Amino acid sequence: MLQGAADSGEGLAVDVRGLTRSFGAVTALAGIDLEIERGAVFGLLGPNGAGKTTTVRILNGVLDPTRVEVLRVLGRDLPEGDALVRPLVGVQTDTNLYDRLSARENLALFARFYGLDRVAAAARADGLLDMFGLLDRARERVERFSKGMKQKMLIARALVGSPQLVYLDEPTAGLDPEASHELMSYIRTVSRAEHTTFFITSHRLDEMETVCTKVAVLADGVIRAQGSPAAVARAAVPRVRARVTPLPGTAVPIDDLLALPGALRAEFGPDFTLVDLCRVDDVPAFIRAAAALPVQLLGVAEEPPTLKEAYLALVGAAGRASGDVTS
Amino acid sequence: MIRIDRVRALLTKDLRETFSTAQIMLPLVVVPLMIIIGYPVAFLWAIRVAPDAVDGLKEFISGFPASAIPAIPGLTAAGRAAYIGVVYLFAGFFLIVPVMVSTVIAANSFAGEKERRTLEGLLYTPLSDAELIVGKIAASFLPAVAFAWVCFAIYTVIVDVMGAPIVGALFFPTANWWALMVLLVPAVSLFVISIVVLVSTKARGFQEANAIGGSIVLPIIGVVAAQVSGLMVLSAEVIAAVSVVFVLLDAGLLLMIVRAFRRSRIVSYLP
Repeated sequence: MLQGAADSGEGLAVDVRGLTRSFGAVTALAGIDLEIERGAVFGLLGPNGAGKTTTVRILNGVLDPTRVEVLRVLGRDLPEGDALVRPLVGVQTDTNLYDRLSARENLALFARFYGLDRVAAAARADGLLDMFGLLDRARERVERFSKGMKQKMLIARALVGSPQLVYLDEPTAGLDPEASHELMSYIRTVSRAEHTTFFITSHRLDEMETVCTKVAVLADGVIRAQGSPAAVARAAVPRVRARVTPLPGTAVPIDDLLALPGALRAEFGPDFTLVDLCRVDDVPAFIRAAAALPVQLLGVAEEPPTLKEAYLALVGAAGRASGDVTS
Repeated sequence: MIRIDRVRALLTKDLRETFSTAQIMLPLVVVPLMIIIGYPVAFLWAIRVAPDAVDGLKEFISGFPASAIPAIPGLTAAGRAAYIGVVYLFAGFFLIVPVMVSTVIAANSFAGEKERRTLEGLLYTPLSDAELIVGKIAASFLPAVAFAWVCFAIYTVIVDVMGAPIVGALFFPTANWWALMVLLVPAVSLFVISIVVLVSTKARGFQEANAIGGSIVLPIIGVVAAQVSGLMVLSAEVIAAVSVVFVLLDAGLLLMIVRAFRRSRIVSYLP
């Protein structure tokens, strides 16, 4: 039964197959597939012009696909069901607030669009302003706000309708590290506690790696990889590496490291040494052997590939591929 | 189904934005007010202080049919000139005022939101297409017609205070003027706004929408306004009939807008 539900996409917040969108002769999306489970924190990564904004617009029913096999959001088929989906979704994109309205008025206005009455809308607005540390500026026109404050307002506006699915476009752009950290914590908490699905597009790969349960890399209108950040990284970056960290003030002789099982080459970092290995199967034996060396170590562990490395490999490969085509 | 509370929220927001944009509102309001006050004051004052000058208007006055001027006992040539001047000659301006105001507000409302990059956020909300269109049109229609009525009230006071002693009776507003202000002005304003909204969905910004909308609307309204003096000579029923024609045009245009309105089409014009 559960399998059947999964097949029909009922457990998915977003189910997309074969999505294509062209603008004249330019193909922005060339048949992409996405499956995002409810309660997931999904990151869509890609260079500028990769088709991220087009994807978000189509998933919100404000842009029609050129061709699609399945386009289902929160169980409703799009574009026909867009009016049913919009009340369940909150969107923060690179748009502006109403500068001549106060912070409270901006949020209360959108709360009213989501069906709250005047009193409830004002209360919801104040609740969100409090959450984002802006309650003391509630009566001020947002034209006087800093970039970071406006960014917080845009995110708060996306949350005003208590949505089941939230789209966030570069949410931490303009935020200070503390605010970024708080936002990421909030996303993690809400996705787990309330089963809210987050769909984030961002270039801050370190943040995406820590907050996302699933990512997809989009380049030239094609999904190059999709899965958990760790799975995408391992699939895209074939190298196997171990980090050996000696006690400060000591060093591990490089010849000793290269003599260990599977070691290919070594590279010195500021306080550690990275050793490339032949295969992932070599890692356990390498760690045991390194730990047995007659040196004082703080740690020996596999150095997994990062999302940033994977992104650069995938996007770079896409760039080279498109270069091949044009040449 | 249209939810009135959501339309009202959008309408209130648009009105607040419009009235806080002084660079748009001031020239729109100040110039018509100066003309609305200046014309009747100067015209009636001139007749009052120099009634002999009316002789020069005799031929012009004789061009109006006898039925155009009511039978007021003791009506002088100066009274006849004053009556024609305030009842017939200036009526067209009262169509131009709401047209100017509604063109600018409508262009600013839809295309201006695109320019200020606030429209996309609105398109993502649960507002239905009809709620969005009705809210936007109402936000242009209400201030335009309200301003025309304020001008009408000011004009009425001036005409009654300065013109009644010359004509010898409290004659203004006439039935034709009521028909003009209550029926034709709202109908024509809605017509203009509908065209500008139609243009605005494709325009990239306020200036473009204002220019294209204006270039479509003004020639049409120019012709209508030029004929208003003639219309005013006819009966209030004729003005009502013309208004009905505009109401039918309005209905057709609104239907066209609702059917043609596609969020995807608007978004495809966004950066």
